[in-house]
Amino acid sequence: MKPYFDPMERFGKALKPGRVKRAAASADELRAVEAGIAAAVTKVEEAGFPTEKINKRGWMTVYQRLEYLVDTGTWHPLHTLYNPLENEEGTTNVVDGLGQIAGRWAVVIGFDNKVMAGAWLPGQSENILRATDLAGRLNIPLVWLVNCSGAKLPVQEKFYGDRRGAGTPFYRHAELEQAGIPVLAGIYGTNPAGGGYQAVSPTILLAHKDANMAVGGVGIVSGMAPKGGFDVEMVEELIAKTRAFAARPPGDVATHLDATGFFTQVYDEETGVLDGIKDYMRAIPAYGAVFFQAAEPKAPAFPLEDLYHLLPANQKEVYDFDEVLARLVDGSERLEFRPDYGPEVFTGLCKIDGKLVGCIGNRQGYLGKGYPEYADYPGMGGKLYRQGLIKLSEFVTHCGRDRLPIIWFQDTSGIDVGELAEKAELLGLGQTLIYSIQQTDVPMLLVVLRKGTAAAHYIMGGPTANRHNAFTLGTAASEIEVMHGETAAVATYARRAVKEKDAGRSLDPVIDKMNELVERYFETSRPAYCARHGLVDEIVTLPDLRRYLQAFTGAAYQNPTSICPRHHMLLPRIIRG
Amino acid sequence: MAEEVLAPLAGKVLSVAVEVGATVEEDDEVLVLEAMKMETVVYAPCDGEVTAIKVEPGDQVEEDDPLVTIE
Repeated sequence: MKPYFDPMERFGKALKPGRVKRAAASADELRAVEAGIAAAVTKVEEAGFPTEKINKRGWMTVYQRLEYLVDTGTWHPLHTLYNPLENEEGTTNVVDGLGQIAGRWAVVIGFDNKVMAGAWLPGQSENILRATDLAGRLNIPLVWLVNCSGAKLPVQEKFYGDRRGAGTPFYRHAELEQAGIPVLAGIYGTNPAGGGYQAVSPTILLAHKDANMAVGGVGIVSGMAPKGGFDVEMVEELIAKTRAFAARPPGDVATHLDATGFFTQVYDEETGVLDGIKDYMRAIPAYGAVFFQAAEPKAPAFPLEDLYHLLPANQKEVYDFDEVLARLVDGSERLEFRPDYGPEVFTGLCKIDGKLVGCIGNRQGYLGKGYPEYADYPGMGGKLYRQGLIKLSEFVTHCGRDRLPIIWFQDTSGIDVGELAEKAELLGLGQTLIYSIQQTDVPMLLVVLRKGTAAAHYIMGGPTANRHNAFTLGTAASEIEVMHGETAAVATYARRAVKEKDAGRSLDPVIDKMNELVERYFETSRPAYCARHGLVDEIVTLPDLRRYLQAFTGAAYQNPTSICPRHHMLLPRIIRG
Repeated sequence: MAEEVLAPLAGKVLSVAVEVGATVEEDDEVLVLEAMKMETVVYAPCDGEVTAIKVEPGDQVEEDDPLVTIE
């Protein structure tokens, strides 16, 4: 299939000095936001005890373990700022991401043993479920660095129970195993109760010599029968019992290597555990990089740094999406699907590291006379119209048939509205796209370049596509909200403003409320907020985008559950005609 | 040779970035139009000197209206 894919159509053009000059302030603004995100990331990484203190105790930190375990240059952190319940610790207390171990992609997750010895915290199970679901979607192993002291007891009501509570990941581990996806665990430290299940629920258990795992820990074993409260006498008794309690924690290596045999192997050194994980990773099924390559990998023809001058920080400013895409895909090459139809969206095939992916993105700006064909008003990119929605459904369906992973790029203000839009079936066509996505079974990645707004955020491969969206990335320009704050203020307060006016009262209180809402919308749609609350899985710098695209594509093609030979693909033939 | 920079769409002129007599290079910003809540930057189609500016901020223009002349 060389004539189709090697090379494909070259697109994009080099930046001219005028464009660079004009975008200088915007580029500075984007970099400033990225610097703010980087500072927040550092704060999360420094949460809890300092590294030196952990090292003095003879332990490595989770970050040191990750550095040893993951192949150099392949770590792609996810959920770094995720802290949806605003824990005072500043973290959900797990660190996760995509990385290669011994040359194979895995989702890697570990407890931050600097913070309360890796305790369960509010929001953590949601974080873990994102990692387990990612492993499931990409059909790659989940690797755990278990070091979990159990629940932070004073706030257990926030995470212990519920459908997606702290016990749910254990079912997910079983679900992954049911699907043939291994869960590997390196086990360190004391892992009682919930920590015990964290340790025992994976497929292969590799333990450090000082590790233990148990149904309950020392604290529970030495506990007293409840009497409805405490008084001084009882606490004195408790102190005496606690002083006298000298038992070793239950479930140590002697028990779980020799008696139960749950531990597959035990290592004297912390790094030995990690070497053991590497050995198991070498033994998992994975296609070599060349297996699914349609062409030799190529760098994009233009520098990634150009993105700072192509993606405006100003949400209202029009730009050329095709130029952005040209900075991200192999050789700045593509095969565009239906270029003469639905001009508000790009749909086409591109390559990442030589492997084919379907790419979709919102084009920006004026769409030309007579479009949309059903309306008497001009069409602007960023919005979705009838043709664009039909084209998206067609393209997604063909990608599903041809087993092509999809990368979505959103910068959308929504679907066209009004009576003409209703008559043009846009409501139904939006759900048609959802149905089309659901009919596929291919991994999808979403990049929210700038706006992710209204139902368009849902239907364009948003995180709401739970079974398909592997993860969602944001940029320094990302803004996710149901609608712009000013639009929301109008929708909320317009009638009240009329009432106040008619009653002859001052409009100032309504205006204050409207401005408060605008401000609130602004604050709750910023990149850092989106990352903290899980609206995106990570905010990445613009030049880092391609690395994440490479990780996604590499992982999606590592061991796909279903394949389509390139010479059996329909989409390239439809495109070429 | 004179080249007319035409309005790519109907809208309001938000700002003009050049003056008569200014030298511009291809892809330099000429002006910004606002339409449908979006700002469209109009770039110089060629190198040259600005010999005429036919609009000012606040003007409403139609698609293909002449905006600026570059020689």
